[in-house]
Amino acid sequence: MELFDNLLLGLSTALQFNNLFYCLIGVVIGTAIGVLPGIGPIPTVALLLPFTFGLEPASALIMLAGIFYGAQYGGSTTAILVNVPGETSSVVTCLDGHEMAKKGRAGAALAIAAISSFFAGTVATVIIAVLSLPLAALALKFTAVEYFSLLVLGLFAAVILAHGSVSKSLAMVFLGLLIGTVGIDVNSGIARMTFGVPALADGLDFVPVAMGLFGLAEIIANLERPAVRQVVSQKLRDLMPSRADLKAAFPAMVRGTFIGSALGVLPGGGAALPPFTAYALEKKIAKDPSRFGKGAIEGVAGPEAANNAGAQTSFIPLLTLGIPANALMALMIGALMMQGIQPGPQVMTEQPELVWGVIASMWTGNLMLLIINLPLVGLWVSMLKIPYRLLFPAIVLFCCIGTYGISNSAFNVWLMLGCAVVGYFFIKVGVEPAPLLLGLVLGPQLEENFRRAMQLSDGDPSVFVTRPISAVLLGIVAIMLLAMLSPAVLKTRKEALAE
Amino acid sequence: MTQRRIDWPDLLFGAFLILVAAGTFAATWRLNGGTAANMGPGYMPRAIAGILLAFGLFFAIRGLLRAHSGIERVQLRPILGVGAAVGVFALLIETAGLATASLASIFIAALASRESRFFEVILFGLFVAAGAVLLFVKALALPVPIWPW
Repeated sequence: MELFDNLLLGLSTALQFNNLFYCLIGVVIGTAIGVLPGIGPIPTVALLLPFTFGLEPASALIMLAGIFYGAQYGGSTTAILVNVPGETSSVVTCLDGHEMAKKGRAGAALAIAAISSFFAGTVATVIIAVLSLPLAALALKFTAVEYFSLLVLGLFAAVILAHGSVSKSLAMVFLGLLIGTVGIDVNSGIARMTFGVPALADGLDFVPVAMGLFGLAEIIANLERPAVRQVVSQKLRDLMPSRADLKAAFPAMVRGTFIGSALGVLPGGGAALPPFTAYALEKKIAKDPSRFGKGAIEGVAGPEAANNAGAQTSFIPLLTLGIPANALMALMIGALMMQGIQPGPQVMTEQPELVWGVIASMWTGNLMLLIINLPLVGLWVSMLKIPYRLLFPAIVLFCCIGTYGISNSAFNVWLMLGCAVVGYFFIKVGVEPAPLLLGLVLGPQLEENFRRAMQLSDGDPSVFVTRPISAVLLGIVAIMLLAMLSPAVLKTRKEALAE
Repeated sequence: MTQRRIDWPDLLFGAFLILVAAGTFAATWRLNGGTAANMGPGYMPRAIAGILLAFGLFFAIRGLLRAHSGIERVQLRPILGVGAAVGVFALLIETAGLATASLASIFIAALASRESRFFEVILFGLFVAAGAVLLFVKALALPVPIWPW
């Protein structure tokens, strides 16, 4: 019963007092930024990265993971009460959740959202534990050739399954790969594209890049839009949902959990795709689809469960293969590397306490979130009263301090400023910045494995298609690309993402 | 009425990629490329820049041929305010200390929004700067001076 041994090992790590403490900090911060629209988990994790340097690797990852799934909880609170999604992943929760609130059932909607999230989080934790072992065992057989193909598959899948134009996202991946090559070349020791700046010798730090592209550029774009007045409509009573509510919501919860778990594993799926899919499914199989959009409880339970399950299973490729499924997981890889741990399949065998500790902490974290969110919901709602005009200067300042703090260099702050301007340009021309971050983080690994593979094969690129595992992986990439060219698939994808 | 052409987002993104690719070629032309079996430091950057160039040309040409699509008007106030706040922070942090840099960057950032109110920003700035010093220097031990002296 290796699985139980592993989970027990994980629990013993996660239940250590300091790890529980960091988990609590993570989920509290996560809930806070989830509740507040206009600041997401990506800049927050980037901001806190430098300060996890002094922590143990397990504590650092537990806290950062807590921010991510905590934000999913917080996002739904805002969605239900104010009809503004705190995070993109809770856009669908607005549809029926806010309708429920308008009918005076805000308490039941919040409770169902929290219970669904907790249920999904618990199931997803077990799914991660079950899937991680065989995947990691498979990955241990990989050589540079297979690893290169796997990285290519990860990057392409992330691009195709995420929103936005595929061709533009691909271009962004290559842009990320290119800026990933800045710095001293490991093999020859020669500086590349550093323009004589000594701070660039180690390569571009991804924290300033992430904060500029995601945090600051987003603020600049937000300020251009007219401010949205947020009104919390009503008092909260009756947090406990009725028995009938629970009965109606439960099947939706289960379906949502499985949809979310399946989609979360796919690169690019992360937390955005699952809730939309779950909502569409609930609407399709409902006896009376017209109830949806008017406060159907299944329309809250399904997407909320999918949302949380997806957020958690997106850790599977990261923990087992060292491949990030989305921009946030790319930051997690960064956190591992800052701790001196080279991400990849070997982490699972070399650092079992770390991997299983993080997995088990997701369960303790979800339990904490249930308590933090239900009785304390009033506290979070009062946070919404802070106006954006005060919030954004504070976020700008914290981005500056955080970036400076990575290596105490003012150069990084300038770099962040440059990235903010470029990020603003990307928003204006309608390009998603997330693929760039994936490329930047995976770039050095991709180049290293490509070089090694080419050295092994004496410069013959056919090695990537003659080795079976690598050929299958690249075959999947080819099929995905071909499928994208077919108009039928293109149309369904557009509909699925536009909803 | 003549039909309007040019998809500006595509054209500008394409031009941006071409610029980046050209910059990369200029910055790496001195580096040894090597062969596929034994790559030099210049191999990967130039290979990727080549791909970016192709993408850039594709978007630029497509942008010229496609139906008209504009870009939302650029407002200068937010980008200048936020940009200046970050720049001032970078200039002040090492010489004038965290408290001064924080105050300055909060005040300047507040200029980016039309809704900021004078006294509110002053009070809030003092409060946040004090919080930042306590959190980052006292609690998280960030090695940075607090005051210019």
